[in-house]
Amino acid sequence: MNNLVLTIALPLLGAFLLPVVMRLSQALGLWLGPIILGYGCWLLGNLWFNDITLPLSIALGGFDAPYGINLYLDSLALLFAFAVQLLGLICWPYVLNQDTARRQALMLLLVAASTGLALSGDLFNLYVFYELAAVATFGLVVASTTSAAYAATFRYLILSGIGSVLTLLGIALIYSQTGTLNLAHLAQLAPELLHDRLGLTAYLLILIGIGVKAELFPVNAWVPEIYATASSRLSGFLAGLLSKLALLIILRLLVLIFDQPEAVQIILILGILGVISGEFAAWRAKDMRRMLGFSSIGQLGIIFIALSLPDERGLLALLALSLHHLVIKTGLFMLADGWGGSLERLTGAAKRSPVGAALFTLFALSLVGVPPLPGFWAKFTLITELAAQSEPLYLIGLLVFLLATVIETSYLFRIVAKLYSSAETTTEQPEYQHLPGLSLATASLFGITLLAATVLIAPIGDGLQAIAAEAKNAELYIQTVIPVTPGGQL
Amino acid sequence: MIPGVTLELILYVTALGLVIIGLAGVVLSSHLFRMVLALVIAEAGANLMLVLSGYRWDAVAPILMQRAEQPAMVDPVPQAMVLTAIVIGVGIQALAVSILIRIRQRYGNLKRREVAEKMDAEIAASAGIRRDISQDAPLGERPLSPLPAHTAESRGGDA
Repeated sequence: MNNLVLTIALPLLGAFLLPVVMRLSQALGLWLGPIILGYGCWLLGNLWFNDITLPLSIALGGFDAPYGINLYLDSLALLFAFAVQLLGLICWPYVLNQDTARRQALMLLLVAASTGLALSGDLFNLYVFYELAAVATFGLVVASTTSAAYAATFRYLILSGIGSVLTLLGIALIYSQTGTLNLAHLAQLAPELLHDRLGLTAYLLILIGIGVKAELFPVNAWVPEIYATASSRLSGFLAGLLSKLALLIILRLLVLIFDQPEAVQIILILGILGVISGEFAAWRAKDMRRMLGFSSIGQLGIIFIALSLPDERGLLALLALSLHHLVIKTGLFMLADGWGGSLERLTGAAKRSPVGAALFTLFALSLVGVPPLPGFWAKFTLITELAAQSEPLYLIGLLVFLLATVIETSYLFRIVAKLYSSAETTTEQPEYQHLPGLSLATASLFGITLLAATVLIAPIGDGLQAIAAEAKNAELYIQTVIPVTPGGQL
Repeated sequence: MIPGVTLELILYVTALGLVIIGLAGVVLSSHLFRMVLALVIAEAGANLMLVLSGYRWDAVAPILMQRAEQPAMVDPVPQAMVLTAIVIGVGIQALAVSILIRIRQRYGNLKRREVAEKMDAEIAASAGIRRDISQDAPLGERPLSPLPAHTAESRGGDA
């Protein structure tokens, strides 16, 4: 069981060894990263299918929680850790150029940090992994070496720096109040120590700090520029997965520690504002990459609305929407690899790349929520759940969500219409419409996943329900990490 | 000393003040390097807060020694954490400055507004779209179309 640590340690080790190995033997260096990630996939996949008793907690260095740092593995963490390793393998920088070694090393670093984010059960440890992921991201964005990439990365770095200052303040407040940073131990102490105004302040600071990566409403100014300047594969990884990992941390904090109505309301309001701002900006955007970036802000807003729902079915909607967005947005970014520029250039592109156009249409249909595609199912769960709430704020959320769907349909199908338009562009060169083979193959992979999910929707739904029930169970988390002996008080 | 004002309170206020000064500096400064400096100040405040969260005034450094009676020790965990936070902060600041050097090389200066304008222009150009008007320009259409240059001059250039 302890080899779970390898899924974090091996990519981390590989990241620092890779430049040296690359210098010794180029062939070995090129294989090192995919082998490590493939091993991680195999290891986590094995855990999934072998019937082990989840959830479980692994004490690192032999110090038991709450004194040591522990990794916590439940089905949700396992799902995300597996997704990180797999998506790392899919979004791996395969295209070779002069700084391949650096980009591959940074990608391994990003995968290691992301896996840590999915598994760690300690607040400060989460902060360290979070910063590690941020630094790896900065390095990967500037690897595209355009001047705009440097400027965009600087803006991201400053915003992320503000986020980390706020997170640190929140952590300091929590520590001064409780004297612990272990999530399970905090969950035990929270009802008497943190359910007051100070706790709420700490929560708000951490929410805004972590929210920078989750594209939360007031701190998402970095999104359009980064996605417009970074490589499509990296944008896919960031929008698809890293944002969800930040969301996972917020979910854990919400379930375990800050289980208060005010905390939930803040998330709902910020989510609604995110949906409105993101979708309208996406509707106005004139180029593919920025449109996808803004649309991702809107989608994350919808997911935040789902996060604010109080019961298990809300969490089910959250999981379904997250996984759906992961597949769709990463696939769309793969298509943006060739179609990244102005939307005008796409006129008649279906003739040159029928597969690409078909994939775009498929993704658009599912994103809007046309049955029987999985998007319909995810959105339907959210709608029924929102409509069942009695508070008026949830009804506003429902209205905004429906409005967002209309806007989404409008801007996505504007592009679909352009793709299949018969009018030939005469001013633009056709190479703009050419999709690189690798990106097309990757996007097809996501398309096939989507179609497979359509067929297997019933078992996937049952599986997600079980995961949601387990993740919502704060008592189980505490029991797993700190097994209580009767009468024993920590 | 004013009654009620302890050293501890002063330090807490200082820490919070540093964070606020830093955040205000990031938002208000018009030069990119000053933004980095402001971030350094804010981080110092956060780190001070972290140290304070485990500090005790009547205690000694947390080193275990063979003594007859163990005196109270300060909590070592925040000190370990603040070391980590400082190291992370320094790394990120170094990265920020190295990115600034590149921006300076490419764009010629580090004025916030000019860099933002140039970045927008470059993204728009590489995407092949016509740029939106500058963020400083007023929104909407002009009520009257602009006068040609020679008529403007004949009217004393106040158009």
